[in-house]
Amino acid sequence: MLGALIKKEIQANVLSFRFVAVAALLLIVVPVAVLVLSTDAAKKVDEFSSRRSGIETYLKSYAHFNRLQNVIQPAQPPLASYALVRGISSDVNIEEFDDDPLPVMFPLLDLTFVVAILLSLAALIFSYDALCGEKEDGTLKLMLANGVPRAKILLGKIVGGTLTLLVPFLLSLVLGLIVILLNPRVAWGGSDWAALAVLLAGAAVYVLFFLVLGVFISARHQSSSASIMTSLCVWVLFVLVVPNLSPYFASLVSPAPSRIKISREASRLTDVERDDLGKRLAAEKMKELVRQYPALAENLSEAESKARAEKDPAYKEALQARVREVGAAWTEANRIQGAKAKELWDDMRRKEEAQTKLAGAVSMVSPLSDFTFLATDLTSSGLMNERHFEQLSRLWEQSYGDYVRARIGALQKQDPAVDWWNSPVDVSDMPRFQYKQEPLAARIAGTFLPLGILAGLALLAFAAAYFSFVKYDVR
Amino acid sequence: MIGTIVKKEIASNLLSYKFFVVILLMTLLLATSFFVLYKDFKGRQADYELVRPKPGEAIAVLAPNPLSIFAKGLDEAMTRSFEVGPIGIQVRAGQKSGNAVFAFFPAPDFVYIVKVVLSLVALLFGFDQISRERETGVLRLMMSNSVSRAKVLTGKWLGNYLSLAVPFLLVALIGFLLMTLDPQVRFGAMGTGRFLLLLAVALLYIALFLSLGILVSALTRRAAASLVVLLLIWAVAVFVLPNLGTLVARQLVDVPSVKALSEKRQQTWTREILLAIVEGRAQGRQAVDANRKTHLEAINTEFDKLEHDYRLKFDRLVRLSKTINRLSPAASFVYAATELAGTGIGEESRLKDEIVRYKDAVFQDFDQGRKDHAAFAYRYRSAGQVLAQGGMFDLGWLAAFTVVLFGLGFAAFVRYDVR
Repeated sequence: MLGALIKKEIQANVLSFRFVAVAALLLIVVPVAVLVLSTDAAKKVDEFSSRRSGIETYLKSYAHFNRLQNVIQPAQPPLASYALVRGISSDVNIEEFDDDPLPVMFPLLDLTFVVAILLSLAALIFSYDALCGEKEDGTLKLMLANGVPRAKILLGKIVGGTLTLLVPFLLSLVLGLIVILLNPRVAWGGSDWAALAVLLAGAAVYVLFFLVLGVFISARHQSSSASIMTSLCVWVLFVLVVPNLSPYFASLVSPAPSRIKISREASRLTDVERDDLGKRLAAEKMKELVRQYPALAENLSEAESKARAEKDPAYKEALQARVREVGAAWTEANRIQGAKAKELWDDMRRKEEAQTKLAGAVSMVSPLSDFTFLATDLTSSGLMNERHFEQLSRLWEQSYGDYVRARIGALQKQDPAVDWWNSPVDVSDMPRFQYKQEPLAARIAGTFLPLGILAGLALLAFAAAYFSFVKYDVR
Repeated sequence: MIGTIVKKEIASNLLSYKFFVVILLMTLLLATSFFVLYKDFKGRQADYELVRPKPGEAIAVLAPNPLSIFAKGLDEAMTRSFEVGPIGIQVRAGQKSGNAVFAFFPAPDFVYIVKVVLSLVALLFGFDQISRERETGVLRLMMSNSVSRAKVLTGKWLGNYLSLAVPFLLVALIGFLLMTLDPQVRFGAMGTGRFLLLLAVALLYIALFLSLGILVSALTRRAAASLVVLLLIWAVAVFVLPNLGTLVARQLVDVPSVKALSEKRQQTWTREILLAIVEGRAQGRQAVDANRKTHLEAINTEFDKLEHDYRLKFDRLVRLSKTINRLSPAASFVYAATELAGTGIGEESRLKDEIVRYKDAVFQDFDQGRKDHAAFAYRYRSAGQVLAQGGMFDLGWLAAFTVVLFGLGFAAFVRYDVR
């Protein structure tokens, strides 16, 4: 029975105008997008290798430890998966004078985008009249006059709709993948294909959610023209508004101090306030010292005190104690104020992290963000990769620091007269920063949460659709 | 006669479920967007008070632009602080936030809401004008009276446009007026005028999509088919074309990436400083200062060259991507709106020119040993200049689109079989 229902759904869909329109759009947009993206990815690979060789040429003649670290900053190499998914990899670099603001105006078009916007819209177009449309045509009445349970009709509609939508999408993607395979400079490995498979599973659940949502809305309406209005409004909220508002919302609810403010305050702590504290501590120390060495209380000029120190060993000792104690007082002041500044920074970072977490959590109400996080994390172009990259950079910085200390030590032993910090040195044995993608297992594990939420949302929508349909007046 | 039709359209809209949901959605979104971006602006304004340069400092920082509440555009890039030092311009990250989720989704400002949601809403008002009335038989009855098709179509267009534009204008103006109550958000006469211009562009953009909706409705027999076609056209025009167009333009113009450029700069200055030190060491104490100066000059010339070269290529990319993207009215709208608000690509590029000029002036101060530098002053282009430099083209383009679509709609309606 279910088979017959699904077959009927698929046949009705395939013959419909909307199927032809959606299929035509996907078959054009996806291959074209992949063609442009893979050309761009290949270009990025070329540029990256020329950047690398530029650095190596520099290192041969001008490597010197004092400024070397500015030249060999860790850089994210372009990945093979950039031919399909870009995520937040585009460099809207806000810290350079010559920035590239175009992606701020128009974000890139990639596979995530096609699925997130086009497929979800298509899913609603396929399902907004699933029940109310058949009611209007009178076929729903006839169907129920046979002994078909409503659950089966619902299931048949959902399965048939999902299949008819996914098939043209997969076809268009196959065309896109052929483009990728034909481009020899975009080398896809086994883990890229595996990641794509998981991504497609996520896309299927995402599409399923919107299809079920459309069926649910159609079960709440008596006319399909009202149903499409509700569907589109819900779609706009879920897809175009909630994700975009979520970071702003999070910054209102869980505010983090601005970085500018913190850096101003921190520099005040370690500058003006440190001087005040240092002077105060030094004065206190001086009071104690004067009690111990009354000679220090005399106000002598520098020359006089020098002359006296030569004659009077007790006075010399007192002077040395003064230097020592005052130095200790300043060190103490530095330590206290440094700790305060560090606490300020740490507090800001904690708050920023909390805000990011909240923004992520709020945005995950929207299936679009769930799918975006899933797709970008799988292809190492999202938040997970950002953290991973930071960790790799830190590790590399440590090994680089060790290397510099060891080299400088050895060189200074060789010839202590030379200023090795500012002299060209041979650094061919220096550890280079090597980016390694996070292992596939970890990336897949990271998708459990968004995938789970998507599946949960789909189930919820299904339950809602079921209960609405059971109570639906089919006349 | 037209008056009657307009009245009938408005009355039937007011009573419909569609009007209720859609206007509710629009009001909700505009209000939220205003509130959220207003808060964001206040935060950035507070930050600006902290980084505001003291007299004599060679730092160029713009105050956040109040119109960025409506069109955020590149305002965040424009309000960074540019410090001029001996080796050129140092950019401080400015008001970059640590919240990484911002990077994923575009800012939900007024321009975004209009570009994405209002265009969709306009289509929803237009998609069933002809085909639905044919299905219900109303169209036949209407045509049996002696009323010309031109009048019917104009009446329909006006009636639907008014029922969409009036609530939109009300919400937008109330939002704007509420914001002017805050004494710290100073729009001034200029800002108010520009906001009104922004509204006018938005109204034009909405008119375009309404005409498109009516056109497709007059080309199809069934409202459902009309809607499917319109939604797909909408998705292509608003999302696919502009987002893909920029990427296509990138394939045609070779622009080095920002990262590549920054690496080159790092290599240049570290190399020159090293050479200055090494040569100074070889030539003895007196030569050090002279040496240092020549190498600093070398850094400066090299940086200027890199910068100039990049800007030339980047400008070419911007021009090409604009030409390609303008295929989509959504892109034209974004260009016109952001430039009018003073947060567009053209304004940003002009600001950079000014900053480079400021840097050259500060370098002259350095040469003459002056410690006090004149403050950086930037005047946004006037609305007239913006219109002359491309804004008028975008507006004309949108208007031409609208007129052509309406004309085609009329042609299709004249031949429409109303039975």
